[in-house]
Amino acid sequence: MSFLPEVELGDQFQAFAAFGEDLGFVPNLVRAQSLLPRVIEAQAVLEKGVRLSQGPLSRAQTERILLCVAAIRGDVYCAGLARTALRHVGEPHRQIEGLLEDHSCVDLPAAEIALLDFSLKLSADSLSISSLDIERLRQHGFDDESIIETAVTTALAIYRCTLSVGLRPEPDREAPKLRPGREVSVSGVLADRSASRSGHETSYVRAPYLSPETFAPFATLIRTHGFIPNFFRAQTLRPDLLSAEAELTSLVLLPEDVLTRSQKEAVLLAVSAANLNSYCVAVHCNLLRGLGVSAEEGDQIAVDHHGSSLSEADKALLDFAIRLGSKFSEFSRDDVVRLRALGFTDPQILETVVVTALNNFANVLQKGLGIEHDFDPPLAFEQKKVHLQTFPDRPIARRSATYPVIEPGYDPDTELVTEARAGSLEAFEELVRRHSRLVYRALAAMLGNQDQAQDAMQDVMLSAYQHIASFQARSKFSTWLVSIARNRAIEYLRKRGKEVSLDEPTPGEDSDFRPRELRDWVDNPEQAYSRTEIQKLIEKGIMALPAKYRTVVMLRDIEHLEIEEIARQLGLSIPAVKARLLRGRLMLREWLAPHFAAGARRATQ
Amino acid sequence: MITCDEFFAEFCNYFDGRVSLEVRDELELHLSQCRACHALYDSTSKTVKFVTESGSFELPENVTESIIGEVMAKLRTGKT
Repeated sequence: MSFLPEVELGDQFQAFAAFGEDLGFVPNLVRAQSLLPRVIEAQAVLEKGVRLSQGPLSRAQTERILLCVAAIRGDVYCAGLARTALRHVGEPHRQIEGLLEDHSCVDLPAAEIALLDFSLKLSADSLSISSLDIERLRQHGFDDESIIETAVTTALAIYRCTLSVGLRPEPDREAPKLRPGREVSVSGVLADRSASRSGHETSYVRAPYLSPETFAPFATLIRTHGFIPNFFRAQTLRPDLLSAEAELTSLVLLPEDVLTRSQKEAVLLAVSAANLNSYCVAVHCNLLRGLGVSAEEGDQIAVDHHGSSLSEADKALLDFAIRLGSKFSEFSRDDVVRLRALGFTDPQILETVVVTALNNFANVLQKGLGIEHDFDPPLAFEQKKVHLQTFPDRPIARRSATYPVIEPGYDPDTELVTEARAGSLEAFEELVRRHSRLVYRALAAMLGNQDQAQDAMQDVMLSAYQHIASFQARSKFSTWLVSIARNRAIEYLRKRGKEVSLDEPTPGEDSDFRPRELRDWVDNPEQAYSRTEIQKLIEKGIMALPAKYRTVVMLRDIEHLEIEEIARQLGLSIPAVKARLLRGRLMLREWLAPHFAAGARRATQ
Repeated sequence: MITCDEFFAEFCNYFDGRVSLEVRDELELHLSQCRACHALYDSTSKTVKFVTESGSFELPENVTESIIGEVMAKLRTGKT
């Protein structure tokens, strides 16, 4: 008896029919999701997209990956399911039994073994994958399209295994015997793992440009996510797989008939954090922010959800998901019983299992393709990761390897902050001296007045001193200082009876601006104006911008801060910062054009 | 080739060097063939260059020192 009850959907249910046609029967893993037909449709789309694709991998290659990943994970159900499918495509009995035992001892060409090696390493320890593993596949003749297909197939194997742990279906046929306690030998070099942390490496495979105007899944993503995550952009060589994944994501995440979107995003964030996947942590922090959850709360869920302000029930939901997604060997029926006792319904529990499976799918695929970051992950999360050098039970943890220390996001102020908190005025003085220019510029931009900025600086510094005990180092000290400046600026503006316009824009507000002045500029405007004249023009132009654009342009182009840092300082989403920056730059450009455009008269100041 | 709208959509990322090589190639192909986008790109580049190199909004050192001096004096005497 599986963990959750089933309802009769009838074999006419389209997704059931698809499985029946493909395998000759409807797997119990699929029937176990009958409380929520749309998640069955989601799995059917994924399975069809991956297993029946017309891509370079053969059906036997795909099924072997599904078999070997399940076997190494000790997942009897999924190994049995893949064994049936392999028999279905004519794989000899002895070969299947050999693969269940140890793929490296089976009489297969070296390239086939290399492919399985890669999949097993990716599924067992996704963080250890590096460009060298990809290089090895290329040496065996696999091209980018096959590499994507291999990574997606491995991710599907993990999707299935996560469902199987969470739902515990009865075997469809006679269960295979798996050798207990097998280890995945993780070979290869771990050296560039630290590189995969930073947000600026490029993904392992080529990714030609696809336009959202012609490629419908991208248009959908813009609607549902507000942007096209690199996760999808990186797979444009295989639009077929990409479409299936986008549809899977929509079917699982968008409807709010069972769990809310925020609950689902919190599950994705917490399990990605438990799996130490910085890419997914950063994406889900950002999406949660878009759903109205503060940056601090998102960071806290990533670091330790128990310290967040989620309800006790939702915290238990995340405990459940983390055990399933990251410590699956501990997961049992008791976890399901506990959630029921807290009032969760069976469809809610089922959806949590499916969302966790989707999460693990994404975590594995992201690492397999080395997909580059959309956003920087929270600093506090990166710092926490450093302390987790040995991971006792990530997806398949029956292995041992030494992990390199991952360098944390680093705040050069940490020591001074510690001293200042202990009461050292000298340390505090050094801190404000370091950041006085940043504070001044932030205030000047937000207030739109340089004299008032000077006056407000004192207040900000005094306020920082008064509250330094409450600074929790979840952000950089400079970020915290700017947030104080922001609060002060808002107070000042209110006192002056001005409308406060530093807040999040309404959707579309920043995207409808189009430049009008399209004349070429003279080649060397700096020859026509002195440095001081240009500086004055720039200051005047920036002060003429609306406050919200002015602040972002100031922090990015004058103070040279990273977009992610600005987003944290101003409590904005990254897309919002980007939109404001673009618009601010374009407005400033328009303002400067009369001075610099070809044929323009040299204006006097 | 991509359209002007598509170019404009990636404009900010392109500026900050945040596009993949493939996208960059597409954008640069467009730039080489579209006069209006080229003018927009060139003038925005110049704007950003002026702004980043202008050293604008620099507070004179004596002003900074006097502000910090006043703050520290208040903190030392406990009059905050």
